[in-house]
Amino acid sequence: MTATEISSNEQYNFEVVKKFAFMAIIWGLIGMSIGVYIASELAWPIMNMDIPYITFGRLRPAHTSSVIFGFGGSALFATSYYIVQRTCQARLFGEGLATFTFWGWQAAIVLADISYMLGYTQAREYAEMEWPIDLLIEVTWVSYLIVFVGTIMKRKQPHIYVANWFFLSFILATALLHTFNNLAVPISLFSMKSYSLFAGTQDAMTQWWYGHNAVGFFLTAAFLGMMYYFVPKQAGRPIYSYRLSIVHFWALSFLYMWVGAHHLHWTALPDWTSTLAATFSIMLLLPSWGGMINGIMTLSGAWDKLRTDPIMRFMIVALSFYGMATFEGPLMALKDVNALSHYTDWTVGHVHSGALGWVAMITFGSLYHMIPKLWNTKIWSEKLIGIHFWLATIGVLMYITAMWISGITQGLMWRAFDQYGNLQYSFVESVAAMHPLYVMRAFGGMFFLTGMVLMATNIMMTIRQGGRAAAISPAVKLASAGV
Amino acid sequence: MSVNNKQPHVPQTTGHVWDGDLQEYNNPLPNWWLIAFYMTVVFAIVYWFMYPAWPIGRTHTKGLMMITYTNNQGITKTVHWNTRALLMKETNEAVAAQKPYYDKIASTPFEDIAKDPELNSFVLSAGKMLFSDNCAPCHQQGGAGKFGLAPNLTDDDWLWGGHYKEIQQTITDGRHGYMPPFGTVLSDVQMTQLADYILSFEKIPVNPASAQAGNALFHSETAACYYCHGADAKGRVVHGSANLTDGIWLWANVPGAKTIADKEDAIKKVITGGLNKGVMPTWKNRLSAEQIKLLTVYEHDLGGGQ
Repeated sequence: MTATEISSNEQYNFEVVKKFAFMAIIWGLIGMSIGVYIASELAWPIMNMDIPYITFGRLRPAHTSSVIFGFGGSALFATSYYIVQRTCQARLFGEGLATFTFWGWQAAIVLADISYMLGYTQAREYAEMEWPIDLLIEVTWVSYLIVFVGTIMKRKQPHIYVANWFFLSFILATALLHTFNNLAVPISLFSMKSYSLFAGTQDAMTQWWYGHNAVGFFLTAAFLGMMYYFVPKQAGRPIYSYRLSIVHFWALSFLYMWVGAHHLHWTALPDWTSTLAATFSIMLLLPSWGGMINGIMTLSGAWDKLRTDPIMRFMIVALSFYGMATFEGPLMALKDVNALSHYTDWTVGHVHSGALGWVAMITFGSLYHMIPKLWNTKIWSEKLIGIHFWLATIGVLMYITAMWISGITQGLMWRAFDQYGNLQYSFVESVAAMHPLYVMRAFGGMFFLTGMVLMATNIMMTIRQGGRAAAISPAVKLASAGV
Repeated sequence: MSVNNKQPHVPQTTGHVWDGDLQEYNNPLPNWWLIAFYMTVVFAIVYWFMYPAWPIGRTHTKGLMMITYTNNQGITKTVHWNTRALLMKETNEAVAAQKPYYDKIASTPFEDIAKDPELNSFVLSAGKMLFSDNCAPCHQQGGAGKFGLAPNLTDDDWLWGGHYKEIQQTITDGRHGYMPPFGTVLSDVQMTQLADYILSFEKIPVNPASAQAGNALFHSETAACYYCHGADAKGRVVHGSANLTDGIWLWANVPGAKTIADKEDAIKKVITGGLNKGVMPTWKNRLSAEQIKLLTVYEHDLGGGQ
């Protein structure tokens, strides 16, 4: 029961946590750089340079895979391994297996990015990897599940901390989604190509059941797990409500599984499926907000920390963006709103208010908290975290403002009729109208990326500093080269 | 461990402690949160009663909302709300609203359409979208054309004729321009002479003697250019052969060439290899006769219609 800041490296396996945390930073740099580049390609198409490998269509999945699975995924592996050990007071189960999850996961993303640039894709959004890479992910993911569950089973704490419920639901749901969405028959053993097991509407439905639950469990539940540990830790205060955490956890897990079809409104999808997806999306609003309330209310009584603690600022702004994006989502899932928003940049803006505002911001806060602890040192520069915070916030705001305006403009232009009932604008006129907003979006991305570069510098200096301090104490082994 | 709470000053926590200092208060669910959640549930249930919602065996609940529409055969039906009926309703209503205009276009002679302000205004409105969707990919938005791809439709130069009937036929059946290659028939010097002759129409200071020789060759049976391009080199609408005297170029990049030698080379390249690229597809399978007639008027009025 006493505060146990135990000399950790013997009690816990932090080696693999360090590796993943380091790679989260690297993938953040890579993924966000690609993002800025492709955003610039849309604003200034000359940047395609007629090189097929770097055209928007091929780099776009490299961007999404690098940021979601590389940056987000590595950060989740790192924090979940860190949290599950500390809250179970148990060393990670399966030493070698945990190390394997690191190499398997990194290899999968490297292979995925290279194969996209060479033109290989399954053409399933966020699941573009061809079947051999899918198999590698499958093996890695099952190993992750074994390590995680194994650690929980050998816990020395009678109760399982709320963050671990969220991580476990994320790991289970992702295993399920990844498996069923990628059921396919390879053309031959030596071909990268395969045929999906599903066809037509069912195939689209399966893909978006996967796609939206990737958002729900990978980008929401898992990062809520992160939030549930690092926010109370950083604030030094208990979680606001245990009851709320239980209710919103189960409501979220139950409701998310139904809503994927809202990506397919007004298509060949049956109307009843559309209705269910829309209504379940609406019912998902408050369960999603449960996490935001629990996070923000945890800080109540210590609001002054927002002035003094830039890490806390990252976390609270992340929760605010989470609340905003999860309000916007159900709204866009309504059929009539969707008729305007679908296929426009509004969707892109919505995704990024979640991805940059929530996922990346909560990750920044958590890594700033965790990395100095891993290397047994203090952060190299508090001031730099403050600057990073403002760059990131300005970047997100520019990005989503540009995409809101551009998306709603597109939606309105595409459905504007004149007095005879003829369309008022041609498609290419709407494309031309987007140009200034695409420029603005690219600049927003540049702000965000600059913040990421500052973070990488700060973290590398922190790790070096920690390495130097540790060199004095030979009891603590540290990996060289920062990993 | 769970009951042994050593911090009596925070009595609302659950009593569990993790990792040194992680605890949880046991605050009740916020009232506003709970009420709002119930409201979304009520919204969903109402929605399920209104629209198709729950699958039952091989069918599903149909909902209370009804939709009345007239189908393509003119039969009016009232059915449970569904997207197919909605699409048919909106499409057929839109088509019906425009029908009087299209009927009038079909029955009005070309020359009179532009004189009717109401009809002309409809042509401009519908023509812009028909043009943008079908013609602009090659002829560009606004119809200015693109060098090496498709001719400018806003000038006075017409490969296949600028009268209503000719434009209508161009759109309906498409066109295929062809020029045979002369690379094996003519010598390099002869081709230079022909190029100089053509360039002399644009008052470009070419070698007069060479242009003179080109003139003779143009009208001779050796090169026989006049067969298609006409004795005056102004082209013949019946062949779609180009007017070579007006300084308008679609395939030979004369305006882009800086020196006279480069301009000669641009023309010689076309003479050597001939042309088989001037293909305009047929639109009769994609657009209705009224739409093509409307586009003809729109196109005619873009500029230079004869």
